Amino acid sequence: MSAREELKEMARGFRWGRRPMMPRSAEQHTEEREDVGFPTDWARTEAGVAARQAILQGIMHPLVRNELSLRVYGLDHLQDVRGPVVFFSNHSSHLDATLILCTLPDRWQRRTAVGAARDYFFDVWWRQAFTALVYAGFPIDRSRGGKGIDKAKELVRDGWSIVVFPEGTRTPDGHMQRFRHGASRLALELGVGLVPIAIVGAYQAMPKGRWWPGKGRPVVTIRYGDPIYPREGETHQSLSLRMQQAVAQLFDEDRTTWFDAISRAERSETPSLAGPVAPAWRRTWEGSRPVARRGRPKAWE
Amino acid sequence: MPRPGFVLEVDERTPPLIVHEGEGYRMQKFPLGTRVVYPPDALPGVRDLNAHIRHALLDPVGDSKPLPELLFAGMKLTIAVDDISIPLPPMVTPDIRQRILEHVIELAARAGVDDLEIVVATALHRRMTAAEIRRMVGERVYRSFWPTHLTNFDAEDKDGIAHIGQTEEGEDVEIMKRAAESDLIVYVNINLVAMDGGHKSVAVGLASYKSLRHHHNVHTMLHSKSYMDPRPGHSAINDSTVRMGRLLASNGLKIFQIETTLNSETFPSQLGFLNKREWEWSTKDQALMMAAKKANEVSPPRVRREFFRRIEASYKVTGVNAGEVEAVHERTLENLHRQQLVEVDGQSDIVVMGIPYVGPYNVNSILNPILVHCLGLGYLFNMYRNKPLVREGGVAIMYHPVPWEFHTIHHPSYIDFFEEVLADTTEPKEIEDRYEERYATDPWYVHLYRTSNAYHGVHPFYMWYWGAHGRDHCGDVIFVGGEPKSVARLGYRRADSLRDALEMAKDSVGPSPSITYFHAPPIMIADVR
Repeated sequence: MSAREELKEMARGFRWGRRPMMPRSAEQHTEEREDVGFPTDWARTEAGVAARQAILQGIMHPLVRNELSLRVYGLDHLQDVRGPVVFFSNHSSHLDATLILCTLPDRWQRRTAVGAARDYFFDVWWRQAFTALVYAGFPIDRSRGGKGIDKAKELVRDGWSIVVFPEGTRTPDGHMQRFRHGASRLALELGVGLVPIAIVGAYQAMPKGRWWPGKGRPVVTIRYGDPIYPREGETHQSLSLRMQQAVAQLFDEDRTTWFDAISRAERSETPSLAGPVAPAWRRTWEGSRPVARRGRPKAWE
Repeated sequence: MPRPGFVLEVDERTPPLIVHEGEGYRMQKFPLGTRVVYPPDALPGVRDLNAHIRHALLDPVGDSKPLPELLFAGMKLTIAVDDISIPLPPMVTPDIRQRILEHVIELAARAGVDDLEIVVATALHRRMTAAEIRRMVGERVYRSFWPTHLTNFDAEDKDGIAHIGQTEEGEDVEIMKRAAESDLIVYVNINLVAMDGGHKSVAVGLASYKSLRHHHNVHTMLHSKSYMDPRPGHSAINDSTVRMGRLLASNGLKIFQIETTLNSETFPSQLGFLNKREWEWSTKDQALMMAAKKANEVSPPRVRREFFRRIEASYKVTGVNAGEVEAVHERTLENLHRQQLVEVDGQSDIVVMGIPYVGPYNVNSILNPILVHCLGLGYLFNMYRNKPLVREGGVAIMYHPVPWEFHTIHHPSYIDFFEEVLADTTEPKEIEDRYEERYATDPWYVHLYRTSNAYHGVHPFYMWYWGAHGRDHCGDVIFVGGEPKSVARLGYRRADSLRDALEMAKDSVGPSPSITYFHAPPIMIADVR
């Protein structure tokens, strides 16, 4: 076998550049390797910030605008807010983090880092480097519960705002999943505000399993809401529920009007985002229903 | 807590697995569903080895007094040590034998013992060179005793051999006269595999051909299933040496047995990937493997051999036990099994084995075709308890280039055995009947054995018998990558690749055979249920 063929064989067998996997029958015989973690602090230095902004503003933002019909609302809610805060949103696509970072105003963009699943975004070196550089990403260990957000606490204490997706993973069917409590625990512990964001249409544009948005410049709306703050003596369960309702209210606002959404929220009639209790195919069918373009399409759309 | 061994089932996630093939290795993709037997992780070594040795000598097991109480002024003391055939590869210095010898000699010196002889229990193996002995026993022992009181055993020294008697089975027991006449024999052993140690130490290590032929023969080997399973009734060779050892004891020979066990850190840190499971290799391990493999492939054969010859195992000592032979050996086996035993569920149609570069009889030498046969169908095949990994009539596929190459100093009788005997027949029983006696008594081989560094004239016969059980059990033996002429001389078949070998094996085991790859070294014993 030639050296080239051998290298190819090794690359295929050992999954070079891809997530390493172990044989199934070896799983119970293999200790979990102590994860020394990928260093990400370099990406939050001055040079890292400058490089990231160049990438976000010079490459990612034009790319997003080119591929999607992007609508952004509610940035005025951030005008009087002082950081750091925790941005949180529903999670339906790999576009989500990019969309949030690209649409944040400059002063927020500079000091916002995205929490990314350690087991997915920090598995192979090139993905680690990409996540750290482009998103100022830091690893969140989904298997460690409250201990998985140690790095997030450190960043917030350093004055960095963070983006988290409390669902923990992208929706499999387009409907919002139950929120985990990491973000609420963090906000309660550090007393920071939580800014809700609704991302509407990202699932239809680029659901789980796709790596590039669909054709036809699908409509995606980013809607920022009013920050919510932990109340005196509030539990993390109750705060998580409020966070979930805040996102649902933004969805409602996107579907109807600001005033209607508030009124419904006051009457506790905000439509749930949990989707129908039905077989998986029906949930997916409903969740993937195309987002209607409102009004007449613009000439250049 | 080190992980036990286990059986992997190859699936689409399994990377290519390393397979040893002499002075090299290859990465082999195995068919889906292949079972791969992995050895347990290396056990940790004992923390304070000196304290451990002291404790073993002062608090012996079985019916034995502490060593200091057995030593007295004016006594005749013989210390025997295992030779270069173990451990494999040779361990980093200081060798455990040096550590123990220094303790024993210190006690003897304090007790006022003057008549002390150290003998390397070579039996019919080659004499160790001075440099090899110095490396094994250390500078201090070497300087104090070599060459007058530190010697290689000579099984052909008619005046130096004593006939002790016959066992109830009529087996002659002859051992070194000096040892037989000693007030105490201290045997310092390394128990690398389950067949080492116990009564085999003195009754084989210090025995003559006349004594050895009673168990080193085709009949015994065919009734040793396996010789790595020393439970009574499982190994005829072990049963025979036990009878001999008990005869020695009943004739008043006092033996203080010191046995040691090692963990499985077979390769040094530079080749650490060879000690690991492939899917746990880091990027560095993969790069090291590729670099070492490529460098090895482009190196001239002499450089390659020298590279492998210089490998020293970073073994750690996992146990030292001393005292009465059988009690000590029982503990030793417990320790050994803790490190080496792997449970395997049932046999398969095909067993695949990679033959490494070193076996017990080619340290600092060449693994010639007869030794390849011995290492594959003798040692590796027999690393089982209860049943072989491959079913009767199944196929053994082994990886080795099997070069037609011999070390003319170490293995002179092997050359003639290969050229003359195997050219005539490969049937062990026929070889034993027609040729053994002549080779065993050939004056030239005897001369080389006694004065040079040659294995005894009969040794290649033993190597051939060693694989007799494996040869008898398997329906076909195929060498992947083997040199056609030498493989044919051994009476086996060869293939260029595993795929070809599996295709050839169809004749014996059908189109969809079950396959087991025995992922050794490190050494392990498959406990086949």
